[in-house]
Amino acid sequence: MFMKPVPKVANIPRGLFARAIGLQTIVNIVSMTLVYLVFFLLIGLPLLLVVMQVIFPDVFNPNNPNFLMSLGPVGRIFVVPRVYLAILHSVELASLVGILATLLGSAFALIVQRCDIPFRKTVGIIPWIVFLTPAYLKTVAWVLLMSPGGYLAEFGLLPPLSGSLFFAFPGLTLVHALGLFPFATFIVGNALRGLGSEMEDAARLGGVPLWRVWMNINLPLLAPALALSFIAIFAQVLSDFGLASTIARMSNFGVLTYEIYAATSSYPIDFPLAGTQSLVLLLLVTIAVLIDRLLRRKDELKLISGRSRPSRDYDLGYWRYGVTALAFLVAFLALFLPLGAVIIRALTRTLSDGMALHNFTLTHLMEAGNIHSLAFAALSNSLRYAALAAFISCAAAVLLALQLEGPGKFMRASVMSLALASVAIPGIVFGFGYILMWNRLPLFKASVFPHYGDASLLITGYIGVAIPYALIVVMASIGQLAPSLNDSARLFGVGGFRRVMRITLPLIGFSILTGFILNFIHIMFELPVSQMLIPRTESPAPIYILRLLNYDKDGLACALSLISMVIAGGAALFLWLVFRWFAARNGAANNGKWISTPSLAGDMR
Amino acid sequence: MTSRVSVRLPILAACVGLSFGASAADLTVYDALDFAPTVVKAFTAKTGITVDVVEPGSTGEVLGKIAAEGDNPQFDIVWVDGSAVMERMMRDHILQAVPDDAISSVKYTEMGKALLPKSHSFVPTGASTTAIEVNTKKVPADQTPKSWADLEKFAGKVAAKDPNLSGPAYQWLAGYFQTNGVDTGKALLEKVLTNKALAGLSSGGKVNKAILTGDAVVGINQDSGIIAKAKAGEPVVAVYPTDGSVALPIGLGISAKTKHMDAVKKFIAFVTSAEGQAAMQAGDDTDFFFMPIVEGVKPKVERPADIKFLILDDAKAAMNEADWKQWYKAKFVP
Repeated sequence: MFMKPVPKVANIPRGLFARAIGLQTIVNIVSMTLVYLVFFLLIGLPLLLVVMQVIFPDVFNPNNPNFLMSLGPVGRIFVVPRVYLAILHSVELASLVGILATLLGSAFALIVQRCDIPFRKTVGIIPWIVFLTPAYLKTVAWVLLMSPGGYLAEFGLLPPLSGSLFFAFPGLTLVHALGLFPFATFIVGNALRGLGSEMEDAARLGGVPLWRVWMNINLPLLAPALALSFIAIFAQVLSDFGLASTIARMSNFGVLTYEIYAATSSYPIDFPLAGTQSLVLLLLVTIAVLIDRLLRRKDELKLISGRSRPSRDYDLGYWRYGVTALAFLVAFLALFLPLGAVIIRALTRTLSDGMALHNFTLTHLMEAGNIHSLAFAALSNSLRYAALAAFISCAAAVLLALQLEGPGKFMRASVMSLALASVAIPGIVFGFGYILMWNRLPLFKASVFPHYGDASLLITGYIGVAIPYALIVVMASIGQLAPSLNDSARLFGVGGFRRVMRITLPLIGFSILTGFILNFIHIMFELPVSQMLIPRTESPAPIYILRLLNYDKDGLACALSLISMVIAGGAALFLWLVFRWFAARNGAANNGKWISTPSLAGDMR
Repeated sequence: MTSRVSVRLPILAACVGLSFGASAADLTVYDALDFAPTVVKAFTAKTGITVDVVEPGSTGEVLGKIAAEGDNPQFDIVWVDGSAVMERMMRDHILQAVPDDAISSVKYTEMGKALLPKSHSFVPTGASTTAIEVNTKKVPADQTPKSWADLEKFAGKVAAKDPNLSGPAYQWLAGYFQTNGVDTGKALLEKVLTNKALAGLSSGGKVNKAILTGDAVVGINQDSGIIAKAKAGEPVVAVYPTDGSVALPIGLGISAKTKHMDAVKKFIAFVTSAEGQAAMQAGDDTDFFFMPIVEGVKPKVERPADIKFLILDDAKAAMNEADWKQWYKAKFVP
């Protein structure tokens, strides 16, 4: 129903492989098997090794490994109050944050995509910078700000009760929502771009009021993106460790990830409990995905049909100033306030002297910026690791997504569900799974590439963590493409490779870039996997920053984090500009005009 | 062809990118100590033996990594605070007993000799202890606590580390039970640590933050960390309780599966030499303020040298570790 005329794909020679059907089939089978095997090794097996200890608690016992079955670990979920309370807390928090952050992020996307507001580009960049700020830095910042002796108190801006309210469930929810709303902005924003305005214009011409257009047309069309956004944020909150270990702990609010951390950061490790809690996390997200599937079984929207008609901006009149002010208020709370605290800490010597003039110094920044320092070496390592892992994960995600276009809805839904469930698994669980797999399993521990203790396994771990994100972005985008695009090209005799190169990739190029940048930034600041798979040499930046925080050098840690953010953000911006330039020159899928409108709205079919 | 090209790209990138980061150093050290990189640098400069220093995080996180590696440990040396955990790792065959000839030449002080375990599960290379950290801006001088029992006056405003996540904190808990008795000690802690938000912190840094900018006014923290903070200009002071300070050895253990025993012995000889001990003091972060236990080596000027250390009964601490940690978690961790 949203189809545009099929774009003309002329002068493309017939693909050789289209004629060699037999060979093509073999190649497809082999490549699909290979792809599934890689995914099993990267995600499935490490998770399985952790989760299997739910019923085989002594399988990795260093002294007496055995396969004796026991349901004791499962029983602890119902017997130990702190364990079941942590589950309830996690669900409560993730659900509320999922709703709030989706609403906030969607509103942000709407005003950036559809409203004629002042400073629109600036407002559009805000979610990216919020996303760029590492979670552990935000938590440090909020603690610095809201503590009874923190920066806000120093300014007299901390009312007596606000601290106690903040270090409680409301504060935790607020900080989570402010940190995670960019996910909703990216997902719903892409969907809004893909939506175009054909239906809306038609309805408005028929005299339908705007609110009814939104209730009856736009919102139903955006529902898949909103649901995806909610589930992605729900999963993110479940897997969060930064706030779980700081504000949640200070709020007497135990959550699952902290329980897993506590079970695994000691000697001996309580593997069975960690495995059980990981299984619970997986089940929680799987249930959320299944509920979503049941509610939206008939959704089959194909929004990208060659070129959507660009939407018109809403004229908000004088309201536009109010809307802009609200956007900047969110930016202030989500970005400027915590970033300001981090900058102040990076520029001051001691905590207790706060912002007293004599306490300011450039020492931390100069030390962090010294290119011959260990800190800078760690940063350089992280840049390389992140670029590689983001590239490989995106390429692998594209490959899998292309393969999954054929097999049918069930396989696509299964893989998408698995990807979302994987997002909910804390990095620490992945890290342990990787250690068990690559250092304990007979076949793998002999492997020289990747090898436990080398950067090769760290990057492999990063890829394992990043692939679900890339997959969610790319699959949702590919799922938006109308089959008629490929069908028409095939009728012209265009081979599979050329169809992908000339039609599919240009149309989803922006989403691939989005996935790359998301993963690049995510990996740059990824902590738990870095901790567990730390290479013997060339350690990444998050470990160095953590070390500084552990050793009470939070001023230097803040300075290094700021420099990391500037460099990572600059690299991401550079890539985006290069991509735009390249696409403008070469992305000629439609009369030489670049299409940047793949949508995430029709995901998870 | 689509698939072939798509498969090639990630594989090519992987081959190009994953080739760095491999190591062929002579020794691998897992540690959670500020001075380890400085010491290793000095050691390599002196002996030419190369060392990879792996620092995944806090003591608990290092131990977690070792536990996950299980019967295939990838380190030659583990160097962390605490003695009870070393005993336990040796019982689990993760560590091996330190050979006599690696220890016999070390000129320990009396305290050093007392810290050397009979089992040789580790080599003590220094020590610290747990003290009461007091924010001098929040607590008037005449109200400064003198003993663990005095902390009851500050109930609800006492910050402490979770012994489940911190080796030094467990060492303190076991030592505290040793000096106060288990039942009496438990009863007192239940009166003191009434604020769970402050009682189960994961690191000494968080205890410091809670005391400097948070709700806590006093804390139970490693003395070297308090001294380092005071030197950095923060208004804190370490108070050593009158009921005794149980020594927290900085222990160096040897992997049961090391293939580099000669290099390990050279490393032990270096860190227990005057030169190695000097490297261990060449900085201003927490662990640099340790108490030397080798004859002729003086502590840094900021560290009080007249503390009467008590020695922990490692065997008893290791035997009760699971129970006592569980009790602490149930009572004081949210």
